[in-house]
Amino acid sequence: MGGDMNLAIIEKEGLRLFVAEILRQKNTVVGVKDQSAVSSIPGDSGFYTYAPINSPEELTLSFDVTLIPPKKYLLPAYEQLLTFNLSPGSIKADVPKEELIVFGVHPYDIIAINQMDKVFSTVPQDNHYLERRKRTTIIGIDPVKVAPRAFWSSMGADTVASGFDLMLTDIGQCYVVDVGSKKGASLLKMAPRTREAAPAEVKERDKVRAGARKRCDANRLSFSYLELPSLLDGKEEHVIWEEKSHLCFSCGTCNLVCPTCYCFDVRDDVSIDLKKGSRYRTWDGCLLSDFAQVAGGGNFRGHRADRYRHRFYRKGQFIYRRFGDIACVGCGRCSAQCPSDIADPVAVFNRLKEGI
Amino acid sequence: MSKPRVAIFDFAGCEGDQLQIVNLEEVVLDVLGRVEIVTWREAMKEQSDHYDIALVEGSITRKSDEERIKAIREKAGILVAIGACATIGGINCMKNFQDEKFVRRYVYGDKAHWYNTYAARPVSAVVPVDANVHGCPINREEFVQVLKALLQGKKPFIPNYPVCVDCKKAGNVCVLLKGQFCMGPVTRAGCGACCVTEGAYCWGCRGLVDDPNMDAARELLGRFGISAGEAIGQIRLYDGYREEAR
Repeated sequence: MGGDMNLAIIEKEGLRLFVAEILRQKNTVVGVKDQSAVSSIPGDSGFYTYAPINSPEELTLSFDVTLIPPKKYLLPAYEQLLTFNLSPGSIKADVPKEELIVFGVHPYDIIAINQMDKVFSTVPQDNHYLERRKRTTIIGIDPVKVAPRAFWSSMGADTVASGFDLMLTDIGQCYVVDVGSKKGASLLKMAPRTREAAPAEVKERDKVRAGARKRCDANRLSFSYLELPSLLDGKEEHVIWEEKSHLCFSCGTCNLVCPTCYCFDVRDDVSIDLKKGSRYRTWDGCLLSDFAQVAGGGNFRGHRADRYRHRFYRKGQFIYRRFGDIACVGCGRCSAQCPSDIADPVAVFNRLKEGI
Repeated sequence: MSKPRVAIFDFAGCEGDQLQIVNLEEVVLDVLGRVEIVTWREAMKEQSDHYDIALVEGSITRKSDEERIKAIREKAGILVAIGACATIGGINCMKNFQDEKFVRRYVYGDKAHWYNTYAARPVSAVVPVDANVHGCPINREEFVQVLKALLQGKKPFIPNYPVCVDCKKAGNVCVLLKGQFCMGPVTRAGCGACCVTEGAYCWGCRGLVDDPNMDAARELLGRFGISAGEAIGQIRLYDGYREEAR
C-alpha cells in the first residue's frame, strides 16, 4: 500500500475534529503526552510518553521521541497469558480483545513494529502478540523535531513504506495523509473536509521529510547500516567491549527502552489456596546479569562485557541472519537513557568501523 | 495435610515489617487459612516452640541475639528474613561506623552499661537464611509471593536486577535524566520502583544487587558532583554491612 495515489490532505482544524470524532465513536486512543501530564511530577516535563487520550487537546504530535516505545501496547510490560485451575485441571488462554488506536507513531517505531511482527509470526507463532497487533490501528506521523541522540536517518528509518494504517506529515497549514490500509481508509472517512493532495503539497511533504533527515544527520553512522553484519564479523575480541562495559550497571535500560527488543520472562502466580493461578510474562533483557543463567546456576554470559557485546551483535548481526533485519532503528533511546552513557550504537559502531 | 506452623520473631528493628503483615487486610484471612501462626509477640499472646517456618525481622546486634537466632534456626525448617534490618543489616548498621561507647550512651544514657551491644549485622551473618523479603518496609505483595512459593515448595523469586528495570516497566522518567541523584542502578529491584513512581529517588532500602558495579556508581556520582564519601554514606544508610560500604 502507500504511494502517491493514496495521498490526502487534512486541515489542522480537520485533524482536531477527526480525533474528536474517533473518540466520540468510543474508540480507545493512545497518543503522545508530556510525561508530567501523566505522572503529576513537575520535573517530568519535557519528556514524552504514550498514554490514553480523552480529547484532541491532550494529543501531542510534535514530539521528538517517547521514553518507552509503543511496543508497550503490543508486548505489555506485564501480560497475563492464561489462567489455570489445578483441581479439576483446566487451562484457559487470555485472548486480548481490546481494539486500540495508536495516534502518532514515528517511522522508526513503525519499522520496529514491522520487525516484531516478523519475529512473532514466525513459528511458533505468538498468538497474544498477533492478536493485539491485529486489533491495533497505527497512525504514523513524520517527525519534525529530532531527539539529540536520534540517528534514524542512518538506519534507513527516516520514512516507512508499510506497517501503518495512516501516515501524517505536518506541512505547516495542513497534514498530508498517506493511506496505508483499508482500515486506515475507512477510519479517514471520519475526518471532515479531506481532499486529494495537490502535487505542490506532495513536494512540500518531501521537503519536510528531507529537512528532518538533514537535522538527524547531525548524529550519524560513518558508513551504511547495511554493512553492520559484515563489520561485526571477527570483532568479538575487540577491546571496546571490555572498555565500555566497565561502566555497565547491568540495569537493562538499553533493552527495555528499545523498540526492537522483545525478550520476556514467563512466571506463574498461584492463588494463596494453591488451587488456581495465572501465567504472565514480563519484559526481560539480555543486559541483566541473570538473563542467561540456567538451572544449576551456570551463566552463559556471566560477565558484563559478554552481555554488553551480545546486544550489539544481536542488533547488527544475529537478528539480520535470522530475520533479515538490522535490529536497530536509530531512535536513540538506549543512548539517551543509559545511566552511564555507554549504550550509544553510533559511538560503538563508528569506532568499530575506524578499526581502532 | 496439616497447615504449616509459622512463628514470627523480632530482633533489632522498628517492627514495621510485622506491621506490614498485620496490614495484609484483604488477604490476611486467606493467609491464615493456609498457615497456622503459633508465635507472634506483636500480634498475639500465645506462643509455641514447634514451628516449620520462622519469619525473622530485625538485625542481630547483641551476643544474646546470636544465641536466640541460633535456637530459632535449629527449630525452624525454613527461615525467612523479612525487612532490610534482617536481610542486609539495615539502618542499624549505621552505628557500625561510629564509636560503640558513644552510640550506646547516646541511646541508653546512664543505663548504657546495662546493654552489651556489638556491630549490627543481618541474620544471614549468623545463621543460614533460606529466603529474603527485602525492603524498608517489606512490600506486602512480595511477602505473600514468597509465602506462596514456600507453600509450593518452590524457591521464591527475588530479583537480582536493579530498580531501573522496575522504573522502565512503570514508565518513570529516569531520576538521573532529570539531573538528580538515585541509588536505583545498584539497588535490588522488586519494589516496583515505588519511590521514583511517587516523585522521589531510590534510597537503596532493598540493598545492593549481588554484583553492583561500584566503579560505574562512583563515575556516575562524580557527574552529579557527589563525592565517594557521600556515596558511601548513602549506601551505609541501609547496606552498611556490605563490603562495598565499608
